[in-house]
Amino acid sequence: MSRRSVVIAGVGGQGLITIGSVLGEALMAKNYNVSVGEIHGLSQRGGSVAVFLKYGEGAVSPVVTQGEADLIVGLELIETVRRLPLLKRDGSVVVNDFLLPPPASKSIPTRGELLSNLSRVKSYVVDARELALKAGSEIAVNMVMLGAALATKILDLDIPDIENLLSKRFKGDVLRVNMEALRLGYQSIKE
Amino acid sequence: MVKAIIAGSAGEKKLLLGNEAIARGALEAGISSATAYPGTPSTEIIEAIAEVARDYGIYVEWSTNEKVALEIGIGVSMMGLRALVAMKHVGLNVASDPLMSLGYTGVIGGLVVVSADDPNAHSSQNEQDNRIYGIHANIPVFEPSTVQEAKDLTRELFDLSEEFQMSVILRTTTRLAHSRSQVVFGEVVRPNREAVFHRDPEKWALLPPYNLAKHRDVLVKLDKLSEHLSSFRFNTVEKVDGDVAVVTSGVAYNYVKEALEELDLALSVFKLASVYPLPRKLALEALSYGKVIVVEELEPVLEWQLKVLAYEEGMKAEIHGKDLFPRVGELNKELVKAGLSRALGIRYEAPPAVMPSVELPRRPPVLCPGCGHRSTYYAVKIAAQRLRVKPVYANDIGCYTLGFYPPYQMADFTWSMGSSIGIGLGIARFSKEPVVAFIGDSTFFHAGIPALINAVYNRTPMLVIVMDNGITAMTGHQPHPGSGVGVFGEEKPAIRIEEVARAAGVKFVEVVDAYDIIAMRDAVERAIKYMREAGEPAVIVSRRPCALMVLREKRRRGESIKRYTVMKEKCINCGICVDRFACPAIVREGDGKVTIIPDLCTGCGVCATICPAKAIREVEVDE
Repeated sequence: MSRRSVVIAGVGGQGLITIGSVLGEALMAKNYNVSVGEIHGLSQRGGSVAVFLKYGEGAVSPVVTQGEADLIVGLELIETVRRLPLLKRDGSVVVNDFLLPPPASKSIPTRGELLSNLSRVKSYVVDARELALKAGSEIAVNMVMLGAALATKILDLDIPDIENLLSKRFKGDVLRVNMEALRLGYQSIKE
Repeated sequence: MVKAIIAGSAGEKKLLLGNEAIARGALEAGISSATAYPGTPSTEIIEAIAEVARDYGIYVEWSTNEKVALEIGIGVSMMGLRALVAMKHVGLNVASDPLMSLGYTGVIGGLVVVSADDPNAHSSQNEQDNRIYGIHANIPVFEPSTVQEAKDLTRELFDLSEEFQMSVILRTTTRLAHSRSQVVFGEVVRPNREAVFHRDPEKWALLPPYNLAKHRDVLVKLDKLSEHLSSFRFNTVEKVDGDVAVVTSGVAYNYVKEALEELDLALSVFKLASVYPLPRKLALEALSYGKVIVVEELEPVLEWQLKVLAYEEGMKAEIHGKDLFPRVGELNKELVKAGLSRALGIRYEAPPAVMPSVELPRRPPVLCPGCGHRSTYYAVKIAAQRLRVKPVYANDIGCYTLGFYPPYQMADFTWSMGSSIGIGLGIARFSKEPVVAFIGDSTFFHAGIPALINAVYNRTPMLVIVMDNGITAMTGHQPHPGSGVGVFGEEKPAIRIEEVARAAGVKFVEVVDAYDIIAMRDAVERAIKYMREAGEPAVIVSRRPCALMVLREKRRRGESIKRYTVMKEKCINCGICVDRFACPAIVREGDGKVTIIPDLCTGCGVCATICPAKAIREVEVDE
């Protein structure tokens, strides 16, 4: 393996940057060259956001280009389909079953249309909100999706790699909720 | 307590944002001062330094604007101390006046000016290439290629700045500023120099007898620097056999490396961290190849310099650049692969892609749920309807710029910081319809005040609505002179916008709660009538703390959040809340009825006040 690329797609405010930096730190701990590229600023206001993560040996640039991504982690359906051209033909998608129509837009594709687009590639659909609530807070949606991403086994990471990091970042209840969300996300793909 | 991201001892390895790496580099250089005005993609530099500033005795502040930030840096350098100044690319325009003379005077203490450029204009009004500022101002420009290099180069530039007594520009781009990569820390140096004012009036005074001599001096210095830079360790050459050389700088280097790997090509790569002046010897070495391919983002800054040098030296290299690569927008690996292939006459096909088979709606950024700007716009629109006027809406730079988008469409123009009032003045001179300028609180302090004073002095009728949410919200909640807090959240005097306006001589000044649509509507009506009768400017301060900030505070304190819900049986489906008020928390469901997404509602309750059927009511939720 020379390089692996991941695209994390969603809407500003969903915690995408956290997923990117947690994955990045975990991969760095495994001595890979890591690059996590983020675009934010305006996008914090509910705009479309994509985080690009690349790792491997040799040069890793901060942009994932057409047909390059091994994995797309999508936190919202429209944004996930928007990034499909970045996916390798044999790449995988894990997607949160959540449709957030952009305000005041006229033509919104249906959930069915979006899902059928995703069914053209290897994809896993996760009800992340339900699992996050089960873990204790709707804010943990991103941890559920992170767990699901790990379960695809596309990245050279497993649950303990992330747990190590989370226990350095968080304490008490927040840590417990995040850990549980991570595990529930992981199991949702495993089954 | 989470440890500060840029704290740590030598040898430690951390995943840092490009901006955090610059902050760490400055810490390792022993800076005494760091000043900035926030602006994407530069903001995190000062945020990261602020986390450690008190431990290391570094003076750090959010300045009123970039000009002031740079002027402070110049003053600190006069004290023989090291200073970092940071801003986004368009911020350097504001600071350009002192910058142009700084090129002549040079510095004592090392002074690094970070210009965070934004190719692709992800969150900016243009994509100007600030490497050209260096050429214009006689100030050397450096560009790191990786996050690690951003740290190392920053540290080293302070030495270079002092050695040559020149300030330097460190130019980054969004893809570096906002990339995270691993960084190995070096030793931190504490700023322990004695601060002494370097009294040297001939050096510092830009007066007629000295100016031309200074201009001559700096040209000599730049020549010397150009020689020196050929052995600068950040300018590197990766040599292989063959007659083709790639010359690149900044983040483009990474695209070149990936592209060469994927095309399975071996070409010599000259990576120039110093883009102005060119390292002369290295540049001549590159030009000794038969074919030179210059890969750089935006303007052909390296290409121009190389072509001039080749002509002067009578070198015959075939030089390519912007004939192969776009001058607009960012580069990426695919663009570089396509360009290199064309230059070498190789067939190239883009990798196959899965294209979406449905049309996807655009998702422009929107004003947050609970944002006071939304209710302000809503009320102003109603006031204009009632007065039967069609105002020219002058808008400015900040979250409220989003009033440009439907359904509000209340930005007839948006230009640069403070321009809503300035350009508005020109329109108001000739317009029959009233001019209504929207400006944020931070922007008002940054560049709005001089234009407002102009309106008073020249008696220009114009309504200025200062949308005061108490913070520089767009860039992530940095305080400003009206916030009442400083960079650490410590208490500071709060300068009241209404008092500034009154002191400037504005006679009509009113302060309104941004959520109170009726009060706002009435104030706007009064103000427009006033400016028409009196022929003078009017100011309304529409005040409500940023909803995102309030929500975060509540979550942090574990307070319950009020939320609102639609009583379906009462809803008459008029669409006012969803189509005209357009709160992102309110959506239409499959059956056409509206509903409020509970996770998004922040409980401002404005929708309940505008609902003609009184179909929206409060519910209590525990977090």
